[in-house]
Amino acid sequence: MAIVGGGSAGLSALKKLSDLNKSAILIEAGDRIGTKNVSGGILYSKQDPHGRIYNVEDVFGEDFVSNAPIERLIKKYLLHATSKNKIFTIDLTPLHEYKTNFGFSVLLNKLNPWLAERASESAEKQGGGIITGVHVSDIQWMGDKTIIRTNELEEFQVNSIIAADGVNSEVAEITKARDKFKPEEVYFGVKVIIKLPENIIEERFHLNSSEGSAHLFAGDITLNHIGGGFLYTNRQTLSLGAVYHYDSLLSNPVTPAQLVDELIKNPLIGEYIKDEVPLRKDNNDLSKEDQLKMQLSVSKLIKTYDELRYKYFSKNNVELVESGKFRNIEDIKSKIDNIKKDLIEKYGVQFVNNYVELEYSAKLIPDGKRCMMKKPYYRNILFIGDAAGRGIFIGPKIEGLNVGIDDAVRASIAISRSIDKNNFDSGYMGNYYESLINESPYTREMNRIDEDYITLFLNVTRNISMDSVDPLFGFGLGLMKNKRLRGIALRLVNFLGYDKVLPFIESEKAYVQVPILLANKLGSIVNSSYAPVIPTLPERIAKLQYNDDSESHITVEDKRSEFMKKLILLCPTKCYSLEGKDVVLQHEGCVECGTCSIGTRWRHPKGEKGIVYRYG
Amino acid sequence: MLNVGVIIKLEPDFSEGNVSYNSDGTLNRAETKNILGPHSAIACNAAFYCKVKYGAHISIGTMGPPIAESALKQAQVLTDAEELNLYSDRLFAGADTLATAEVLKNGVKNMFGGNKIDIVFSGHRASDGETGQTGPQTAWKLGYTFLGNVIDFDIDLGRKVVIAKRLISLQGMDTIIEEIESPLPVFITIDPSYRSIFNTVSQRLTANKFSKEGREHSEEYTHILRIFDSKKLNLDPKLVGLPGSPTIVYRVEKIPRAKTNRKTEFIDAANPDNLTPITTKIIQILRGK
Amino acid sequence: MSKLLGRENISNTNEKYRHIYVIIEHFEGQVVPVSLEMLGEARRLMDDFNQKYNSSEKVVAVLLGSKVRKLCDELVTYGADSVIYANHEELRYPRNDIDTRVIVQIAKDVEILKEISPEYESTFVKPRYMFFAADNIGRHLSSTVLAELESGLASDINKLVISDLDIRHEHKTKGQSVKYEKTLEMYRPDFSGFLWTTILCLDNKNPENLREYHPQGCSIIPGAFKPIESDNLRKGTIVEYYPKIDQDLKIKILSRRVIEKKIDYETCKIVVSFGRGIKDNPEQNIKLVEEFAELLDAEIGITLPLSKKPYQLSQNLDSKYMIPDRVIGTSGSKVTPTLYVAVGLSGAIQHVAGMKDSEMVLSINTDENSPIVDESDIFIKGRMEQVIPILIDQIKKQMPSISIRGQ
Repeated sequence: MAIVGGGSAGLSALKKLSDLNKSAILIEAGDRIGTKNVSGGILYSKQDPHGRIYNVEDVFGEDFVSNAPIERLIKKYLLHATSKNKIFTIDLTPLHEYKTNFGFSVLLNKLNPWLAERASESAEKQGGGIITGVHVSDIQWMGDKTIIRTNELEEFQVNSIIAADGVNSEVAEITKARDKFKPEEVYFGVKVIIKLPENIIEERFHLNSSEGSAHLFAGDITLNHIGGGFLYTNRQTLSLGAVYHYDSLLSNPVTPAQLVDELIKNPLIGEYIKDEVPLRKDNNDLSKEDQLKMQLSVSKLIKTYDELRYKYFSKNNVELVESGKFRNIEDIKSKIDNIKKDLIEKYGVQFVNNYVELEYSAKLIPDGKRCMMKKPYYRNILFIGDAAGRGIFIGPKIEGLNVGIDDAVRASIAISRSIDKNNFDSGYMGNYYESLINESPYTREMNRIDEDYITLFLNVTRNISMDSVDPLFGFGLGLMKNKRLRGIALRLVNFLGYDKVLPFIESEKAYVQVPILLANKLGSIVNSSYAPVIPTLPERIAKLQYNDDSESHITVEDKRSEFMKKLILLCPTKCYSLEGKDVVLQHEGCVECGTCSIGTRWRHPKGEKGIVYRYG
Repeated sequence: MLNVGVIIKLEPDFSEGNVSYNSDGTLNRAETKNILGPHSAIACNAAFYCKVKYGAHISIGTMGPPIAESALKQAQVLTDAEELNLYSDRLFAGADTLATAEVLKNGVKNMFGGNKIDIVFSGHRASDGETGQTGPQTAWKLGYTFLGNVIDFDIDLGRKVVIAKRLISLQGMDTIIEEIESPLPVFITIDPSYRSIFNTVSQRLTANKFSKEGREHSEEYTHILRIFDSKKLNLDPKLVGLPGSPTIVYRVEKIPRAKTNRKTEFIDAANPDNLTPITTKIIQILRGK
Repeated sequence: MSKLLGRENISNTNEKYRHIYVIIEHFEGQVVPVSLEMLGEARRLMDDFNQKYNSSEKVVAVLLGSKVRKLCDELVTYGADSVIYANHEELRYPRNDIDTRVIVQIAKDVEILKEISPEYESTFVKPRYMFFAADNIGRHLSSTVLAELESGLASDINKLVISDLDIRHEHKTKGQSVKYEKTLEMYRPDFSGFLWTTILCLDNKNPENLREYHPQGCSIIPGAFKPIESDNLRKGTIVEYYPKIDQDLKIKILSRRVIEKKIDYETCKIVVSFGRGIKDNPEQNIKLVEEFAELLDAEIGITLPLSKKPYQLSQNLDSKYMIPDRVIGTSGSKVTPTLYVAVGLSGAIQHVAGMKDSEMVLSINTDENSPIVDESDIFIKGRMEQVIPILIDQIKKQMPSISIRGQ
């Protein structure tokens, strides 16, 4: 059997199937595992009284927490309402801890390869394995055979498929198993990775070693879109980004870069991300040759300075002493100071307050409560995770990775059972998988409002005098505080259907206006100590790595549609532009987020081609 | 059983950030790390292709000082080779390509205990010496048919023949792909654009397996390392090293270059007369250099 | 200290080796440009040589092929005193094994001197110098030929000098100072581009290991030298050579196919690139750039966005210019011409990366704030439709001898 897509869900399926002694191969289009993955992101392990949840440690081993390359254990979860330089912070930690075993910040480009190593080790014992750089181009059924065609390999047969190829699932597209997700069914996420030394992160965010905090932002930083910003602390980096309802972006188009920049310009965030950054001087009075030599020396020196500084501000600084290169920690500090002095005096380098951006990324996210596949299968293909439109997103609850992993285990169980009985009919396998999915507490959460969660939310916000902020909102909240009223209201909502009440919960009022009012009326002033120099979009794109393909993987269908015109703004890497009356595509900078997929013939690039993320 | 040999070289690491230059622009070899040369690595990939597709046995050889062992180790990671050979002797010092080829010829003859090597792969050229001569000269001394600029190849084990595609691009002329056939044994110099293509699921899985094993085995590479000096290789001291080298390096000097820095001269084309000096400059260039 | 050979022996050694043999490459009935360049340099070196040493050594072109007799005449007009033409069906396409053997046969052939230079026939053993092209074919061919001749080879040469040198070398001269006459100094630029390494191919004068190393071989970088002006009045001897072809030929050519017309920026002194500045009238503007480039004998490049074919153009121009092969930049070619002319392009980072090492950069743009201005030595603010015609006009006036040079 084959698993298409090497994200955390696909890798979990490979591991689980192999541990069930079944042979499986995983096909991934990127040239390595992890290069096409993006997440916010936090990986949760949860428990639920309503049923069994399969967590990452159930699949990859009890030692996951101690051995996997995860970032920080999130201990604090804060919501900041913003209005210019006024911030009102609400501690939502209890919400984060609700039904939670743990939540770790992660960088998928680091984590997924580790998962892949474990998964492939198990898989190889069963005669399977991971094949990268291969892009599935077609799936056909001939008689009782299922044939997979790819751009890179000779066609081959499988008995069943797990589609784990994400929100822009091509398996879904090729087989027409479901429609493309509509704008109101997905979120658009954009983020940047920011560099900051380990110890400075801990100092600034008041964290113990290896611990982290997660921050959400609502208010004016949304530029009036429905959604919000986030900042997660990683080991030596920060993940800063925003997630908005796609349809709210369509009705009020703005460039994704602007959405991130708005966060960066916020004074609280500015203070969070700032660092002391070396700024080079141009030496145009020297000869070209000398300039080049000087550039090389300065580069080398700055590189040494950075490396030493990051090491010094990390947990591992003792390693430098142990290696014998330095006598003690203070010695390292004085070396750093000396290099800094040299850079300033000899090379005219200035050290200024700014921040350091490493990687810009974007991706669509399926809103599970609106678009999860009711029947997540098609013939002998089972859909999991984002490919099945599954994920839990409501207010401050943001869970995608863990849902995919849980789905993966259920799909593996269904496939394993079918392999044993040699029956892959949708009536036998698909149906069974559907029943397993319906048993998942995650499915329950995507279908109904959790009363306990609401209660908890009210609890943590109980001390905010909402009436002074927005009387109507305050009144509504007041009503909900009554347990009986709440119970009735929620049962009514769940009866009418979650989707009926969503427009109220997920509204401009809730995500934009009320937070702005909160900040204005109750917030404290945060002043920024510097003006961050924000990279331009070309500079951000220049930092991204690509394996170029001369052929475009996307074809525009209607060059003059209103939707396509909006994409000129909405494409995070400005791949679309206007030539006369037509919208034309230059595919070279594409990060495969899927924003344009609704109006185009959208495919991933050929195997190994396209974006190569380094952080994810 | 297909026996494949690979000739590799340890070279300075020229990648940005790793290379170190002296103040006069020359390479600072002391400060620059040495790695398996990138073209040698491509040759290793070609050999690995033979292993995956044809189950070939691989033997790797390099001429160099003792530190060249690290190149052999890196090569094993890429090929999961069965045998690693270091040809090292003070007598080899100062060798030009002809003298090096003499050593490598005997080296190849001694691979796999004297069992004939069917194909020898070498890189297109080394990144520091960059002559690209050693491969063909070794081939000639071995009496193997030499195929250069190979971008693709397949082996017909039955007929003991290699079918290869070569890239020929002469300056000013069309680029040609030439498909040729030659009986084994052959010596192939791999074009830098070569990429192994494993195009079936089972080849991919096999490649995964051997890659993994290559990494594991390279940790204990000394188990399969053989070191040869000139005696063990049966070499005539007059034909190797400095004594065996027709060419010597006579002198190294800076190439005089008058690089100007760009101070932009701004010309407003509104007045055509402003363009005259530019035309003059263009004509100077046309006439001059 | 054993006595080193006296001066007489040095001259004797030299008498066995005569002439420069230039190995010619041809393709589809045309002589490859580098071969003419090598002949040019050989001619210049040999003229000086003969004058200095009062001799009559020759520039001998060696041509292997099948039915390419007409090329021989061309070689003479470009400086060859003689052409040794080995004509055989098996030599139709270059194949390393057979070509090596035939060239070695020719190199060692004494008989042939009757027709090339009878005055040296009695002493001739091998050529004094051998030139090859430093290209796909020549590099390998030179290696195997010199391996078979058991002599020395320096590759990728861009400067040559013949001189008498006093050499003191630990091994070659056993520490003594020995005069080596008529030594070919072969200069090769190193990988950094900053240094010249001079290579010499020298006989061993060390009594413990006497050895003669001739011919002194080198492979020459295309574009390093210039051919001489073709002169129809030059006279030369064309000798037809009947090679012994080993029937047991190894390499069989199954097919040859052209994959793409490669646009060669490397040997261009001038490159003219254009970008979206042509948008107001793409068809006409490209033709304008064409005219300009032709005048300058320049190759034409484009910016990346243009390779996506954003304009409606005639089929001809579209397939000629709006192609990835023409792109200059990080996803295309990196060029380092003497003059780079950037017409109507803004200078995106990835484009600049492909041309910033050009010696001189001239840009034409209406916007003085475009990034290309910083990368330019001269920036002309103006519309290309106005500026280029003026430049064309002025150049034609100042250089009436300029003719359209075809390839």
